[in-house]
Amino acid sequence: MRIFQFHLMSWPFLPAAYDGPAWVWCPNELYDPKEGHKLYQEYLSQLEAAEDLGFDGVCVNEHHQNAYGNMPSPNLMAAVLARTTKRIKIAVIGNALPMYNPPVRIAEEYAMIDVMSGGRLIAGLVVGGGPEYFSYGINPTQARERFHEAHDLILQAWTQPGPTSFQGKYTQLRYMNIWPRPLQQPHPPVWIPGAGSLETIDWVAKMRYAYMGIPYFHIDVFRKTMDLFRQACQKYGYEASPEQMGFPLGIYVSDSDEQARREFEPHLWYFVRKLMKGLSLNPPGYTSPQSMMRMFLALNQFLPHVSTWEEVLAGRYMVVGSPETVLESVSDAIEKTMCGNMLFGFQIGSLPTALGSRSMELFARHVMPELRRRFGDRLSARTQGPALQGVR
Amino acid sequence: MADHKKEVVLLNGYPVELMRGGQGRPLLYLHSAAGEMTWMPFHDLLAAGHDVIAAAHPGFSNSEGLDRIDHMEDLVIHYLDLLDHLGVGQVDVVGLSLGGWLAAELASRNRERVRRLVLVDAAGLYLPGFDQFEFFQDPISNPGFPAEMRRRCFHDPNSEIARSFIPDQIPMDQILMALRARQATARVAWNPYFYNPKLKTRLYRVKAPTLILWGESDGLLPPDFARAYQALIPGSELKMLEKCGHMPPIERPEEFAKAVGEFLDRN
Repeated sequence: MRIFQFHLMSWPFLPAAYDGPAWVWCPNELYDPKEGHKLYQEYLSQLEAAEDLGFDGVCVNEHHQNAYGNMPSPNLMAAVLARTTKRIKIAVIGNALPMYNPPVRIAEEYAMIDVMSGGRLIAGLVVGGGPEYFSYGINPTQARERFHEAHDLILQAWTQPGPTSFQGKYTQLRYMNIWPRPLQQPHPPVWIPGAGSLETIDWVAKMRYAYMGIPYFHIDVFRKTMDLFRQACQKYGYEASPEQMGFPLGIYVSDSDEQARREFEPHLWYFVRKLMKGLSLNPPGYTSPQSMMRMFLALNQFLPHVSTWEEVLAGRYMVVGSPETVLESVSDAIEKTMCGNMLFGFQIGSLPTALGSRSMELFARHVMPELRRRFGDRLSARTQGPALQGVR
Repeated sequence: MADHKKEVVLLNGYPVELMRGGQGRPLLYLHSAAGEMTWMPFHDLLAAGHDVIAAAHPGFSNSEGLDRIDHMEDLVIHYLDLLDHLGVGQVDVVGLSLGGWLAAELASRNRERVRRLVLVDAAGLYLPGFDQFEFFQDPISNPGFPAEMRRRCFHDPNSEIARSFIPDQIPMDQILMALRARQATARVAWNPYFYNPKLKTRLYRVKAPTLILWGESDGLLPPDFARAYQALIPGSELKMLEKCGHMPPIERPEEFAKAVGEFLDRN
């Protein structure tokens, strides 16, 4: 089992009086670059601390023109971390393929990060969230087609000796010949996040990539999704390796359950009621009309529709409490999903960074060692297929 | 009610849903982003003197073939193919909103095919400085969206017709068709947002006598767009409809059909 720290880099200073969306139309005069400078220092320090605290890796992600996550370019963050860390994996759960044309730029930047970091990159390939299609003007009805074409281009750039040429519907390149090439061979491990659509699950299983769940759903939704993924792998004739599955989970640890709730609850509701507002924007054709209808029906198991503290904890939308409580809750969540990559988000909403860092330290000292004892062997990597050869 | 039939024809391997009724010269009606594909009073009024052909664009209602449509140009080709398939030569074309844009594209490209042209509250142009309303919202993330759309589309948003055409809650059995219509609209109108930068440089080519028919209370595409079309299409006429919003055929079927009929049947 590998344990990652996941960072959103949220904007914690939306005024109490502001009740508009945090996405697309959130006025950017509410962003204060001087505060932003301080935040980037603190947030990057938290990611760097993961190495000393014994985590296996860190995750950064990509969102555009919003207050929810201030990392429009996760590659810039990964480039910083490639220099300031030495051991841990750097997972970029970003690079929304359809947003970039020609996507060869993604193949290049990922290769740069892989070479700079000495082969520590985990390459996320993502479709991008609904709001991103408003912010970047890309036609959402072409999202899936563009994603798959860009994926094929990037894999070709990484694995076929150049120069080669690529002729697609959206991108035509007569000369594709990236310098540098990735250090990990045949290419860095690929992670694909998904919200549970059957098409994506089937494709990730077929490609033998790793499938990451999307956070903030009820634990039962995750369990079902991960079971579907395991079944899809069996359909393609193999057992899913634990390292092919990832489970992102928000977490807060303090000295006691009461203290944890007192310190964390206001920041949780800031996150849910302010930053998640507008996140579920569904542009037309982003998924098929049939899938969109299914998603609308599942919305009551999505965190923004949860209104009480008890529901948050019972549904394992987030895990909060003393080290003992957190250990048992996380163990239960792992038992239910059996994912070999646990991606823990410590810095959530408007939580002061000192509290987020303390929570992470308590977790590393009192929870992580016991989690490794309980699940290390059962969730160890099994090398499977060519795509996982890059996993070291 | 004039006799009309609903059928599905196979075009280039894809089903196209079609309504046809009335007798006289052929009149191609190009529907809006709402995908109005039930036979309504305005269809009936037009069919009193014309052979009305109203098809669902690819991806709307029960028409398929959206994967072949990436630009408005692809819709033009689709309709030329459909007219060929139906054996219809020269045709009068009436288009509303999204369909008005399509009608303008068709008439500027294949000018022999269009006998007379009526653009009704047509999209297709960009007016610098005018901030267009965001059509691609959804009632889940913005519960006030249907009411806002009603205000912009109807002179009287509280009328029975406005409330039934844009309900606060789409009935369960209509959600799938509404999502399909939204997707098919986005395919050609997402970005650039409901316009084609090239269209304004091509409208001088329109040879068909043209009527620009507009609801004076249009809150989506206000009358400035009508005047822009009039300035770009040589010899075109402009007629404003009073107490009428963005959807004249729906809100003012009699006045709409009278204006269209008088223009098309003029010698």
